[in-house]
Amino acid sequence: MEATCSYTLRNGMLVLLRETHSAPLATSWLWYRVGARNETPGITGVSHWVEHMLFKGTPHIPGRDLDRLIARNGGTFNGFTAHDFTAYFETLPADRIDLALQIESDRMINTLFEEEEIEHERTVILAEREGHENDPEWWLNEAVMTTAFQVHPYRNEVIGSRDDLLALTRDRLVAHYQTFYRPNNAALVLVGDFDASSLMARIERYFGDLPAGPPLPPVSWVEPEQQAERRVVVRRPGPAQYVQIAYHAVDCRSPDFAPLLVLDAVLSGAKSPAFSGGAQMNRSARLYRALVETRLAAYASSSFRPTRDPHLFEFHAMVQDKHTAEEVERALLAEVARLQEDGPRPDEMIKVIKQMRAQIAYARESVTNQALMLGMWEMLDCYSRADTLLDEIAAVQADDVRRVAQTYLTERRRTVGYFLPI
Amino acid sequence: MNQFPANRASTIATAIRYTLPNGMVALVQRNPTAPTVSVYGEVRVGAVHEPAAQNGVAAFTGAALIRGTQRRSFQEIVATTEAVGASVNAGGGLHATHFGGRSLSEDLALILDLLADMLRTPSFPDEEVERLRGQFLMMLREYEQDTSVRASRALRSLMFPPAHPYSRLSSGTTETISALTRDDLVRFHTRYHPAVTTIAVVGDIEPADVIDLIERFFGDWQAPGNPPHMTLPDLQPLPDQRRVHVALEGKSQTDVIWAVHGLDRCSPDYYAASVANMILGRIGIGGRLGERVREEQGLAYSCGSSLDADLGAGPWAAMAGVNPTHVERAIAAIIAEIKQFAAEGPTEQELADVHDFMTGSLAISLETNDSIAGTLLGIERYHLGLDYVERYPSIIRRIDREQVMDVARRYLATDNYVVVTAGPAVGEEHNEHSNG
Repeated sequence: MEATCSYTLRNGMLVLLRETHSAPLATSWLWYRVGARNETPGITGVSHWVEHMLFKGTPHIPGRDLDRLIARNGGTFNGFTAHDFTAYFETLPADRIDLALQIESDRMINTLFEEEEIEHERTVILAEREGHENDPEWWLNEAVMTTAFQVHPYRNEVIGSRDDLLALTRDRLVAHYQTFYRPNNAALVLVGDFDASSLMARIERYFGDLPAGPPLPPVSWVEPEQQAERRVVVRRPGPAQYVQIAYHAVDCRSPDFAPLLVLDAVLSGAKSPAFSGGAQMNRSARLYRALVETRLAAYASSSFRPTRDPHLFEFHAMVQDKHTAEEVERALLAEVARLQEDGPRPDEMIKVIKQMRAQIAYARESVTNQALMLGMWEMLDCYSRADTLLDEIAAVQADDVRRVAQTYLTERRRTVGYFLPI
Repeated sequence: MNQFPANRASTIATAIRYTLPNGMVALVQRNPTAPTVSVYGEVRVGAVHEPAAQNGVAAFTGAALIRGTQRRSFQEIVATTEAVGASVNAGGGLHATHFGGRSLSEDLALILDLLADMLRTPSFPDEEVERLRGQFLMMLREYEQDTSVRASRALRSLMFPPAHPYSRLSSGTTETISALTRDDLVRFHTRYHPAVTTIAVVGDIEPADVIDLIERFFGDWQAPGNPPHMTLPDLQPLPDQRRVHVALEGKSQTDVIWAVHGLDRCSPDYYAASVANMILGRIGIGGRLGERVREEQGLAYSCGSSLDADLGAGPWAAMAGVNPTHVERAIAAIIAEIKQFAAEGPTEQELADVHDFMTGSLAISLETNDSIAGTLLGIERYHLGLDYVERYPSIIRRIDREQVMDVARRYLATDNYVVVTAGPAVGEEHNEHSNG
């Protein structure tokens, strides 16, 4: 594995470079430490909306030209917003990568927020949200999140609430942009077929003189400890019953993070650490065997992701015809209890470590995914964890997995959600 | 004109193509980027070969391959692969049944062995068939209330006569999947044939060793009867304008599809049409359609077009997801944009942009094992030759404004088209958001 070099510019922007000459490509990812986690009631969705506005152009590069510039140069690009971060990437033929530097250094500072474009984007984002609302599980997920989190903004959908999207103003968008879109709140990650030292000089030219912003407003919400099980039932038109169970867990810096990741893999296979290019590894795992093989559920899986603040350890299932949400819930809880009782078997421990190793190898086939993993970890903790994660997982013992199952998957930390069709 | 650096075209050209004595074709390409390997394969037997009453038998049979073989149970197959971080899968589609998997390079023999087993000697255990049927039926129930599936299904039944396999979705229906028997699957499986099978293997491997493995696992595969071929009924031109709405409860958004008949992959119009389609509804954020419907009017989050040109001529379609109150405006905007494009054609600038994009993005589309393997399969399916990727830039750059206008005029400039919508009942109360 090629080394990752890191530099910090005078204005506080972190730059990470990894040379790899396997394909004539390079990818550039610019990450900002801002997302739904930084939003308060009334302005939910503002981070995602700002992300949309960054595709609307600057005085130097009109919005239309942005797409055209990337396309003409044989590249792909996009942006996305999550709770903990916002990211913009361009993947291009290696000799065109400066285009990404030009675009990102420009729109970090010079994005236009034209009134008319903002109004267009309001309806585009409402349409984006309405697309999600067509999925019955979206409603269940929203209900479970707002029940599990009473205070922390993790309770809000990244896209924002309908009412906030109708009410948000240009001033709020611009204020949000000017606060968070600063070099001192950003990390630039490039991976690909380039010479790192000459690229660094060009990065310095594009980004070095951009002004640092004022200190960032701290995020100080702490979710109060849950004292009792919470339950929520969503009744809407839909094709089937669905069940979600969510337990308050830990953030990615916790010593219990790796054991919980292993627990998730024991329950439903190791997942890809990137957005694409993984392999399906859930069908020999516990939940599939206990719920899908027995025909209680059409699918059943667990999920646990790295986050900046403590998030949830979740279960999702679709109830098979002729069975009930109650039965599926009981079966899921029985699997939790088995692990709390006996912990994973030695062969399961060996298996999930191998699976994780393979998933990381698959993700590394593309420079885009390599930069994604480095940048995401830098946003959450430190980029080096993209490369040390395997060692962290390999150090986990079966007893650690049993202990975290006992500690976190308890009744009082639990929210249970049912979707029942009407 | 910009010259792109040497891309991977040359690598594809160095792929090894090997035909086994039984007619099966193997394509092998070394890609040492990561210590991984991908296998992609297809048997060209699919939903196009099923009678209407057995709609879904190709999908059901394909999905059942992994559920048990003469040598291994379903749980043995998934436990063996997942123990080493590998996976294998199979499924039946419209024109072909797909099989494939990925693993770390050292486990390639294992997944080839399993895939050969699945393809050649599936046992269709009763209990597994019933499990799978249950999962299929639940998926179909979800589809029943999925606006995009319901719109696609309505579109196909409007555009194609019932005798045409394109008039149906390959997933089947609740009725047909409920009625299929184990014997139907066994019978459909007998149509799999090595002479219509391609396997592509790409990754950190020695090509010669891979050919040996493929020989070992597939070399003595023989199938009864002749390889299946495909004959599709001739397309009748759409006689008039047709419009259908599928009303679904509890939805916030309406899916809209406009479509006319397109062309097949081997049509002499194919490259001009793919350039036209790129300009109309793909490049950037949905081409001209995205520009007009999303960027200028703020009517949709997603709007674009698709050209379904495969072994037969599928729909040439434009689609959008819109708020129910904006449906008529969105349809009018789509139709106006298509009319204008068909009348005026692209600008020289648009054409130059698309030439550059389609040729310049080759490097990205050939980065991962999966994408290289997928490209190799397509090259074989449409008989393009291993020099195809090298030839592609000049093929695309030769497409001029007249050719684009010509295909747009012949296919898109018509008042006989189909429009389907799926979403809340028309006239139902829903949240409107004013625009501006």
